[in-house]
Amino acid sequence: MSSPGSTSVAAVAVRGGGAKKLKWSLELGLGNPRRGDRQGNQGDCLYPVGYSDKPVPDTSVHETDRNLVEKRCWDVALAPLKQIPMNLFIMYMAGNTISIFPIMMVCMMAWRPIQALMSVSATFKLLDSSSQQWLQGLVYLIGNLLGLALAIYKCQSMGLLPTHSSDWLAFIEPPEKMEYLGGGMVL
Amino acid sequence: MAAAISCLIFLFVLVCLSAAVFEDQAGKFDWRQQYVGKVKFAYFDSQTQASRKLVVATEQNVIASLNSRNGDIFWRQVDKTGPEGHIDTVLVHGQDAIMVSGNGRLLRSWEITVGGLNWETVLDTGSFQCAGFVGVQDSVKYVAVLKKTAISLHYLSNGHQKWVENLPDSETVQYEVVYSGGSGLVYVLGVVPHSHLTITAYNLEDGEIMKQVSVEALWLESLKPGCAVVGDGVLVCADPASRSLYTLKLEEEHEQEMRQVLLQSLDVEVSDGFQPRVLATQPSPARHPNAEFSLQLGPDHHILLQLGDDVITPLRDFQQALLVSFATTGEKTVAVVMSPKNETAYSINLFSADSGRRLLETSTTFNLDPNGGKPERLYVHAFLKKDDSVGYRVLVQTEDHALIFVQQPGRVLWIREEALAEVVTMEMVDLPLTGTQAELEGEFGKKADGLLGMVLKRLSSQLILLQSWTAHLWKMFCDARQPRSMVKNEVTIETLARDEFNLQKMMVMVTASGKLFGIESSFGTILWKHFLQKVQPSSSFKLVVQRTTAHFPHPPQCTLIIKDKDTGLSTLHVFNPIFGKRSHITPPSLGRPILQSLLLPLMDQDYAKVLLLIDNEYKVTAFPSAKRVLQQLQEMASLVFFYLVDADQGKLSGFRLRRDLTTELIWEVVIPTEVQRIVSVKGKRANEHVHSQGRVMGDRSVLYKYLNPNLLAVVTESSDSHPERSFVGMYLIDGVTGRIIHEAVQRKARGPVYFVHSENWVVYQYWNTKSRRNEFSVLELYEGTEQYNSTAFSSLDRPLTPQVLQQSYIFPSAISQLEATITEKGITSRHLLVGLPSGAILSLPKMFLDPRRPEVPSEQSREENLIPYAPEMPIRSEWFINYNQTVTRAKGIYTAPSGLESTCLVVAYGLDIYQTRVYPSKQFDVLNDDYDYMLISSVLFGLVFTTMISKRLAQVKLLNRAWR
Repeated sequence: MSSPGSTSVAAVAVRGGGAKKLKWSLELGLGNPRRGDRQGNQGDCLYPVGYSDKPVPDTSVHETDRNLVEKRCWDVALAPLKQIPMNLFIMYMAGNTISIFPIMMVCMMAWRPIQALMSVSATFKLLDSSSQQWLQGLVYLIGNLLGLALAIYKCQSMGLLPTHSSDWLAFIEPPEKMEYLGGGMVL
Repeated sequence: MAAAISCLIFLFVLVCLSAAVFEDQAGKFDWRQQYVGKVKFAYFDSQTQASRKLVVATEQNVIASLNSRNGDIFWRQVDKTGPEGHIDTVLVHGQDAIMVSGNGRLLRSWEITVGGLNWETVLDTGSFQCAGFVGVQDSVKYVAVLKKTAISLHYLSNGHQKWVENLPDSETVQYEVVYSGGSGLVYVLGVVPHSHLTITAYNLEDGEIMKQVSVEALWLESLKPGCAVVGDGVLVCADPASRSLYTLKLEEEHEQEMRQVLLQSLDVEVSDGFQPRVLATQPSPARHPNAEFSLQLGPDHHILLQLGDDVITPLRDFQQALLVSFATTGEKTVAVVMSPKNETAYSINLFSADSGRRLLETSTTFNLDPNGGKPERLYVHAFLKKDDSVGYRVLVQTEDHALIFVQQPGRVLWIREEALAEVVTMEMVDLPLTGTQAELEGEFGKKADGLLGMVLKRLSSQLILLQSWTAHLWKMFCDARQPRSMVKNEVTIETLARDEFNLQKMMVMVTASGKLFGIESSFGTILWKHFLQKVQPSSSFKLVVQRTTAHFPHPPQCTLIIKDKDTGLSTLHVFNPIFGKRSHITPPSLGRPILQSLLLPLMDQDYAKVLLLIDNEYKVTAFPSAKRVLQQLQEMASLVFFYLVDADQGKLSGFRLRRDLTTELIWEVVIPTEVQRIVSVKGKRANEHVHSQGRVMGDRSVLYKYLNPNLLAVVTESSDSHPERSFVGMYLIDGVTGRIIHEAVQRKARGPVYFVHSENWVVYQYWNTKSRRNEFSVLELYEGTEQYNSTAFSSLDRPLTPQVLQQSYIFPSAISQLEATITEKGITSRHLLVGLPSGAILSLPKMFLDPRRPEVPSEQSREENLIPYAPEMPIRSEWFINYNQTVTRAKGIYTAPSGLESTCLVVAYGLDIYQTRVYPSKQFDVLNDDYDYMLISSVLFGLVFTTMISKRLAQVKLLNRAWR
């Protein structure tokens, strides 16, 4: 299937011959040979495998970044609490009518805290590096729980919670008949 | 603003509820059969072979014309019910049918061909006696009407009165017969019982009395049916006491005596208990009657006699002749004699009236249904064939009101079951499963007989299933090849099987004549009929289904309680409702009159429900009465109660069953008959299910329904009928304890009251005498927001009285019937089926009759979807479930649940029978008729296909990109 010209592994693929278009080619050189091709055949310059000509940034933690970490962790912990005013506003705007958009919003509002609570261990790992890890964890938890409570309150105000006796009406069995009665007008 | 909103809600509700039939649905699920009733008079249109019309007048006050080829109704005119529209007599001359109705109140002339009214005349008061045509010089111009005190003559062309004359001595003389022989005189014959006979002759032109003769006749009591005018105006009377015939010439000028001819002198044997009937024939009213007449000597013994010049000669003796009738065609008059051959076969022979000779090749033998009644009357249509011989067709009327039309040679052309015009009660029974399904069920129902036997049985039943399936496929294939119109869905008793939604049922109908019918509900085919002999016309019936079809291999079982009102004796008829056969189970012999019955849910070992019958000594008989049943009955005796309502004494009484099957009186409510009388009592239907135990309020709390299964609704009407003082009472009484739960009195109201009692509500309709309008009133009972006991309902333990709500509405029409729809589980909303006098059936949503409808709509009432109160109840034409198929004189509406929760089967019966289905909440569990299967399936397949293709394409594209 493949054309015979592609057998040399390290060779630069010869392109341009319309009829002789290669099905595949392997280049072990750096850079994008294809781009290089198009940019004017600079393919002569070959680097070893894995060589990069950009400088690698310095990733070592400096003592001055410790505050930044702390700040970042607080950001993570406070994120659910910060959303609450926004949620309140959305709730107010959505109203109490039961239609597709309010329902979708309520679902989103309820689903996000639940999702967060389910992946709470991952978040805690994130907060590991902070010194106030426990406090932050607690705040994060409280924030999510508050968000959930808000969603439940919204459900309640929309009447979606089965808290009334009428919600269980369909499950009431008809009472058993204790006596048997028969008769009528004298025939 | 609020009013506008409420208006909008109202309109919205109306739009939501409109559920009329589409044009192409007419006749798809519904059918109507029209009847005329028991025939009293029947005439054939003309004396030619091509004649197709038959004019009948019936006891149901109906005059109609039937097609003699197929028995269909050409036209039908229905008069008022009761004595007001009672048809006294019908005479047919040419194209006119002259009818006297309402005990001589109206004289009408109908056009035979189209059934239009030619003219109508109101007659003077006086009870009707007789009517007859009067002719002069071979043309019939007048009709004479004889009343108790007067005789009047009317023109046949326009009904105008020619003259009216008072009859002399009408206080003492009973005038009974009017006779005219075409001589210009009208004879009126009257009799003073056991004294003398008077003959009065009137001049045709001015009504002047030309002659008045009285003849001594001490033996004579009445002119009917033992007397007739024969030959040239000779009155022939038969006297059973002296066993002789008397003759008297009417046209003789001078005084005379009746001539006696002893029957013995004619060599005629007369049996004991001789009830003579003289039958004469007058082919044309303008001429003298024929000289030949027949005399009935016994129940099946007739004799043909001829009156010569003062001499009576016997022409022919008919032994074993059940019925004798005369028919005339052209110049020939024939005597038609019907005699029984064996149990079911009858033969008809023609005899020449002049000579008494039997006409050749006129014998006809036909068979009657062995489950039917015996022939009662015979109407003959004789005609001259091309070769100048006499041909004939016969209309036979049997005891069970059936009309059978027989053509030569012995071919039954059609049968009309006129007993169905008077249906008394009916039940709908589920059809059995198909034979194969039943086979499978039977496999599990029977006792196991070893492993191998079971395996073999299973294999054989599977084989049978396979066989029936291939047969079904083959049939489908054959049907598909034929054009659509050729394929007929004929239902016979062999192919009878339940459909998958149990929409087709067996209607068991009990008629007043004592004939039972089994009618299949989807096409209205009569599958079986059974005539119960010796049922008095005044009997009352009660039909109960003891075993349904659910207990294969035990056949379903129905029991009919028949009580003769005159003798008070009751009988039980136990039968299979699917095949109509009498069951081999012997019902208990009932020594005493039965007052009422109760069907217990308790079953015997054969799954038959136990029927308890309470007799007039208040003792109880159980049927079936196996030992085990009696034992179980003893255990539950303290829970079984009876209530009896005696309308004559105005008494309601309750009884408790004791262990020894006697009863004790536990309560009694007396409604004094001087003030009001009990009209009707209704409990709840035993098969009614209520799905929802309460109603959801606007604030989402629950108002629990008061669902007392033992509640009775008792309707009373005041005995005082004065519009200012009359009233209608509604009592709600607990049938177990006798406690009056509620009492509502509608002042200035009058019956007839139509009402429905169901779930926790009662709807009733009455006439408001003050405002002169029909009103509906609804009562609803609620327990409140708390349930007293949610697991069991015992009337003996209910200390709290329910809350009662009531509201009334104006209904713009009178009604003739009221019934509520019923469904399998009671989830579907209820509709009321209102029969209107016009014959339409209105399906009125119950939500219009809701006492919680607010006068001022509020937030909460809107939440509850309550329609704001409006006093006027609408009638919308799309609510008529029977579009133009009116049910004349609806006497009852029967509703039955089907296998589909959305569907309720409705049968309206009266003079007509109409069957249909209603969907009170629309067909929420079925796809629409016009559901586009093609579109949906093509879209579905298309989507699947495109997904597959695009997936493939995407794969190819990805691969290509990877290669690049």
